[in-house]
Amino acid sequence: MPAESRRRLTALLTPPALWLGAFLVAPLLLLSAYSFRAGVGGALFRDWVPTLEQYRILLGTPAFLRLLALSVGIALLVAVLATLFAYPVAYYLVFRVRERAGVYIVLLLIPFWISYLLRVMAWKVVLGEGGAVNSLLLSAGLIHEPISALFYSRLAVVVTLVYVWTPFVALPIIATLYRIDRALLEAAASLGATPWQRFWRVTAPLSLPGVLAGAVMVFIPTVGEYVTPSLVGGSSGSMYGNIIFDFFGRSANWPLGAALAVVMLALTLGLVGATSRLTRLERFIG
Amino acid sequence: MLRSLRRFPLLPVLVGLLTACSKEKRPAATALTADATGTLTVLDWAGYEDTSMFVTFHRAYPKVTVSVAFGESDADIFGKMKAGADACVFHPYTGWQHFYVRDSLVQELDTTRISHWSEIPARFKALGQVDGKQYFIPWDWGFTSILYRTDKVPGGIDSWAALFDPKFKGHISMWDDGPGAVTIATYVKGWDETAITDAQLAEAEKMWTDQRKLNRFYWSGEPELVSGMKAGEIWVAYAWQGAYNTLLGEHVPVAYAQPKEGRNSWVGLYGISSRCQTPDLAYAFLDEKLTAAQGVNLISGFAYGHVNPAANAMVTDSNIVRALSLNDPTVLERTRFTPLVSETQRNQFGQLWARVKAAQ
Repeated sequence: MPAESRRRLTALLTPPALWLGAFLVAPLLLLSAYSFRAGVGGALFRDWVPTLEQYRILLGTPAFLRLLALSVGIALLVAVLATLFAYPVAYYLVFRVRERAGVYIVLLLIPFWISYLLRVMAWKVVLGEGGAVNSLLLSAGLIHEPISALFYSRLAVVVTLVYVWTPFVALPIIATLYRIDRALLEAAASLGATPWQRFWRVTAPLSLPGVLAGAVMVFIPTVGEYVTPSLVGGSSGSMYGNIIFDFFGRSANWPLGAALAVVMLALTLGLVGATSRLTRLERFIG
Repeated sequence: MLRSLRRFPLLPVLVGLLTACSKEKRPAATALTADATGTLTVLDWAGYEDTSMFVTFHRAYPKVTVSVAFGESDADIFGKMKAGADACVFHPYTGWQHFYVRDSLVQELDTTRISHWSEIPARFKALGQVDGKQYFIPWDWGFTSILYRTDKVPGGIDSWAALFDPKFKGHISMWDDGPGAVTIATYVKGWDETAITDAQLAEAEKMWTDQRKLNRFYWSGEPELVSGMKAGEIWVAYAWQGAYNTLLGEHVPVAYAQPKEGRNSWVGLYGISSRCQTPDLAYAFLDEKLTAAQGVNLISGFAYGHVNPAANAMVTDSNIVRALSLNDPTVLERTRFTPLVSETQRNQFGQLWARVKAAQ
């Protein structure tokens, strides 16, 4: 690479590298350092005697590990459901709406103009004891008292997260569907493939990169999700992110909260790395 | 804790009158004069930035700017102070005092610089002490008790055990807080909350894990609780008197229990940061916080108790009088103030609560 190009590349890369270093890498290192402390008292490094105590507590508490596994399960379920809901929407916009697709994409994104909190709380109006679903069932005589399990439950957490993430997942799928060469579909048709065969043999495999990218994009933040469970999950709907938040925000037990966060981060990175390797994600993305 | 606030439209007039009256007779508070200038930085809870929360200070020193930053919980305020927040004055609640002293985040107070100090009862003053030294002034206080819908619970409630009563299944709401949960377990079981054993903690954990099936949601902010009680979804709840007052104001049929085990009470404290560069402003701020005029403002406008007893007699709003039991001179004697909790205990209680929430 010529010296001029190298200098330009360095100049371009330095600001984002500094930014990431200061606001991503350094906080993560601090978080890791805290996870090896015994308590929150004293200065971070001056009074620091490294200990594995927090990891011992974490590994010795089956409830925390079970909740982590459950949160991973919920994140997988939400990622799969959001992808399943998003795919037909993306397909419709790309292959049916075509030239007016831009308008529909804007419509798809309109919910993001509204506060996340409001969008989540809107589900209370739908699923709450006095909400739309219960009112409908009551007035139809199908139930005699409201179903309380619809809200403040894990079901409500999953429903709300799927609703929140579906438009997000649609975007990378739309992008990959747009990139599919229409000539391939015409060739398949001219060779006698039925519409269903064209979809399964041509469209679906070629759209896989968008599907996987969307699913991973949902999975990663959902594992550590804590806002939605705290708003709609009720007493039994907590996720792993909620207890991390509690250790930082309520108990001032930063070391244990940090250990929980480090373990979650390692597990998430491991799962995404393994998925990437198994599905050879880079082949699609590249 | 998130503190919900109500407004009282005639308050500025009332406070103006009271301030004018009190200025006549009170001794000089600090070295500060009325034309003092500068900026006082305060780390406080959302809602406490309202000028009416320090209106007498504002009137006494109109050229001083009070710049308020927010914390959303005691742990958050402690974290911000520890991280070096630019706050001269800060506002923790009982149970957290010794953390600030341990980490040298608060300075010992010279109470001779606080002219209204003598008006404060000794029991309140003691809450601001650590190892016999006065680090904080007490300021606002309130109750924790059981709030219930009288139309859904016609028999009334007289014990904290109601939070564990299966007949209220699906209609109970507990505060989302480990130390609070352990405190209630000690009340119900009759244990000494200052000397909890491991066996008792294990039993408390089982109590709350079993209770989870009865509990609708753990509330973290009063508006969430108020909304649930108003909708009739919650019948029985762990609550502060602010929620009771709000619901009374909205004509919801509720009562605030006087449990046989006693109510719990929390007290808000103000301390001066050890890094404070404007101690004169800070002392004047603390001094004005303690005036009866400021107290009436706090009680009438926000339904919080104030540590200056002279303020109580001036409150006429019947809902507030009921919420704070201001007409019952013995109520504070029957109230259990939140004790100091060591870091080890706080960690234990926090882990206990996390295990309760994580249990499948």
